[in-house]
Amino acid sequence: MRIKGVLETSFVDWDGKIVSTIFLPSCNFRCGFCHNHRLVLEPESFEDVPLDYLLRFWRRNRDFLDGVCITGGEPTLHADLPQLCATIKELGLEVKLDTNGSNPEMLRSLIKEKLVDYIAMDVKAPLRANDYSRIAGVDINGELSRIQESIDIIITSGVDHEFRTTVIKGVHGEDEVEAIARSLQGARRYVLQKFVPHLAMSEDLKKLPMFSDEEMDALVEAARRYIPNAKWRGK
Amino acid sequence: MKQEAQMQQDSTDIALFVKVSEGDVITWDKSRIVKSLLRETTIDEATARLIADRVERIIRDSGIEFITGPLIREIVNAELIKLKLEEQRKQYTRLGMPIYDVEQLITKQNKENANVPHGPEATNLSLAESIKKQYALLKVFSPEVALAHERGDIHLHDLGFIDRPYCSGNSIEYVKKFGLSLPNALSISKPAKHPEVLVLHLIKFSAALQGVFAGAIGWDAVNLFMAPYFVGKSDRELEQVAQMLVFEFAQQAVARGGQSIFSDLNLYWEVPKHFADVEAIGPEGKYTGNTYEDYIEEAQRFARALIRVYMQGDGMGRPFFFPKPQLHITEKLFKTEGYEEFLYEIAQLSSERGNSYYVFDRGETAKISECCRLAFKLDENDLQDAKTPWKMRYSAMQNVTINLPRIAYEAKGNDDLLFEILSQRMRLAAEAHVAKRGFITRLLNLGKRGPLGLLAMDKDGEPYYRLHRATFLMGMLGLNELVQYHLGEEMHESSYALRFGLKVIAHMNKESERLSEEYDMRFVLEQTPAESTAYRMAKLDLEHYPSETREVVKGSIERGEVYYTNSTYLNISAPISPIERVKKEGMFHPMIHAGSLTHIWLGEAKPDPEAIAKFVVRTFKYTTNDQIAFSPEFSSCLDCGRVDRGLW
Repeated sequence: MRIKGVLETSFVDWDGKIVSTIFLPSCNFRCGFCHNHRLVLEPESFEDVPLDYLLRFWRRNRDFLDGVCITGGEPTLHADLPQLCATIKELGLEVKLDTNGSNPEMLRSLIKEKLVDYIAMDVKAPLRANDYSRIAGVDINGELSRIQESIDIIITSGVDHEFRTTVIKGVHGEDEVEAIARSLQGARRYVLQKFVPHLAMSEDLKKLPMFSDEEMDALVEAARRYIPNAKWRGK
Repeated sequence: MKQEAQMQQDSTDIALFVKVSEGDVITWDKSRIVKSLLRETTIDEATARLIADRVERIIRDSGIEFITGPLIREIVNAELIKLKLEEQRKQYTRLGMPIYDVEQLITKQNKENANVPHGPEATNLSLAESIKKQYALLKVFSPEVALAHERGDIHLHDLGFIDRPYCSGNSIEYVKKFGLSLPNALSISKPAKHPEVLVLHLIKFSAALQGVFAGAIGWDAVNLFMAPYFVGKSDRELEQVAQMLVFEFAQQAVARGGQSIFSDLNLYWEVPKHFADVEAIGPEGKYTGNTYEDYIEEAQRFARALIRVYMQGDGMGRPFFFPKPQLHITEKLFKTEGYEEFLYEIAQLSSERGNSYYVFDRGETAKISECCRLAFKLDENDLQDAKTPWKMRYSAMQNVTINLPRIAYEAKGNDDLLFEILSQRMRLAAEAHVAKRGFITRLLNLGKRGPLGLLAMDKDGEPYYRLHRATFLMGMLGLNELVQYHLGEEMHESSYALRFGLKVIAHMNKESERLSEEYDMRFVLEQTPAESTAYRMAKLDLEHYPSETREVVKGSIERGEVYYTNSTYLNISAPISPIERVKKEGMFHPMIHAGSLTHIWLGEAKPDPEAIAKFVVRTFKYTTNDQIAFSPEFSSCLDCGRVDRGLW
């Protein structure tokens, strides 16, 4: 397992908790709005963070930390993810997993082995092949059913979770948000994340405007028609 | 001798006009030089006459028709030097500024201190400060201490405020009990009946205090002491009073050159143990028959109202910088109902606006905070004061900071020498404190009609300024660079380096205790809030110890923007996680009795308030850190009023 980055103390990655966030390399998607694009495209440009170093940090600071947030890249691409989760849990820390939902088998196994305490899954667009492929930047045709499967696994897992959509002005409107929310019925939480253009991977997206706070409020209202516990995050 | 006598006779022939300082134009009279030399210096009469003659000759030979008093004085000084009368020349010094500097000051913005607005009040302050500083270095401190300051071995803070003590912790009880009755005031107010009036008294008293203190005006347990005025009042009414309090403090741009009053509001959710059984004073300064414990509900409602006001920000939605809200946390907080919700609310304020400070009073300590990091730990005597809380008036009279990196340069890697020089510098600092105490005592002894009349005012059997309780601060700058030069590693780079840093501060703490006993004064360590000192000392060291300083100084030498790390902080730009920062920096705090603080930089991201609240509680429980504040980065545009997180 190669870990490519760490935020040793984070107040923003898991609501209500103080966590360390670690970044795993590579991703099977190419979302234009990705703010970790170097991690996706050139993971080798980051030095490895030695796991030993992290374990020492976590052991020393168990009194302050609630858990570890594993993000990426796409963590579920790594076959030894369960082992990493187990190591963290042995320290008495909780595990939050960020995923794009493209690996339902991995999710099923992590849930079954009780290796995750919170799952945050990105749902990037309404579950229609064209829409999804456009946002994810890869042909999603064959994958859509797997994403649907991951959604179902998470909703019925009993593990605490949230689904989230990074909303981009000009791409996501109230109709899109409502359509996504409809496909997530039964979810515990749905979070809209305000897209921050200057961090985007694609030059085109960097030029886009940002949603205003009022517009974000309106999108949340649309989501609440299906998921009462919806909110937005961002600047 | 004959020649001299001849000259004296000739003198009356000079047709010269002199502009004198008193504002008149008079004809030349040589005897005025003799008189002033005899009045101001320890010179003997014959020498004074000799000098007067020589000066007259110079002036006569020049052929000028008009001359000013100050110029004559400079010519006299030149003659004093020729006669090697160095001491008398010093006594005869004229303080002032070159006309060029005065014009720059009056017409150009001061870029060094963003808190000082540019305007006539501000330039008055700068001009006065400049002269008082020169006066202090020449007259108040010994030449040895003055030289150490000028060389940058130590830094004497607020020299321009030489005739004021540094900072103060005050009690609202005093205002409640005695009303607003200041010496020499044209009108007097009886104790307030209504909370709004109490607020007005408080603000006006603060403004008056700011006129006699150089630094912060802190108010203890504000929500608790105001609580008896809120019985039967609605939340809406409380919020109105909270708004008045915050806005009035924030907008009084009247003090020290048109700055806001440097004010702190100390808040408690619980009723701290030392105030619980104290008899409460209510409207009209009368005892209510209840104790403060009985007003917990009103105190808590007012604390919440204040937080709501801070949350809303000013008329443009910007955060308030003054008055600073400082939440004290004692062990009792965790047994007081509703604390989790309140912590969440104040953590939200940290997350959104960043202005709340968290002060940790663990165990039996009680503390009063004065400014961003200065706090007084109350000792047993002080806790006796709590029974008569209007007496809880404390002050640090002066702050002297020691340039630590320079000590490492001078010690050249030798441990023993390093600690020896450190002790010498602390003794110099102690001498500086003795001098300041002597000077302030002299002013206080002039009584109610003297320059510190407000502090001499006696309403409860002792002067407002309780000299015997004054503390004297020993600050430190650049511990990190001292360690870095001495060991080759910064404090965050190895546990050995951190331990050495702790040893240095332990030594300082022990020395301050030893000196306290020797001088019978209270010397305590303080983390100097010393951004400009950090720059000044780094620059002086680059000058005097260039190769050593280059190894450790922070910032950019090319751009001339250099600094040492503040006090005992770890390198502020090193990637140290907030958890390890509060833990490691907190290891120093128990030795720094006048208060210390860890800043947690939040950057652009808006943190989750619940996580912030947890962080606060865990810092209290699992570290020895004394005080923390979360600092988001804010930019606000003065032209359009836009406020954003992040810097732009």
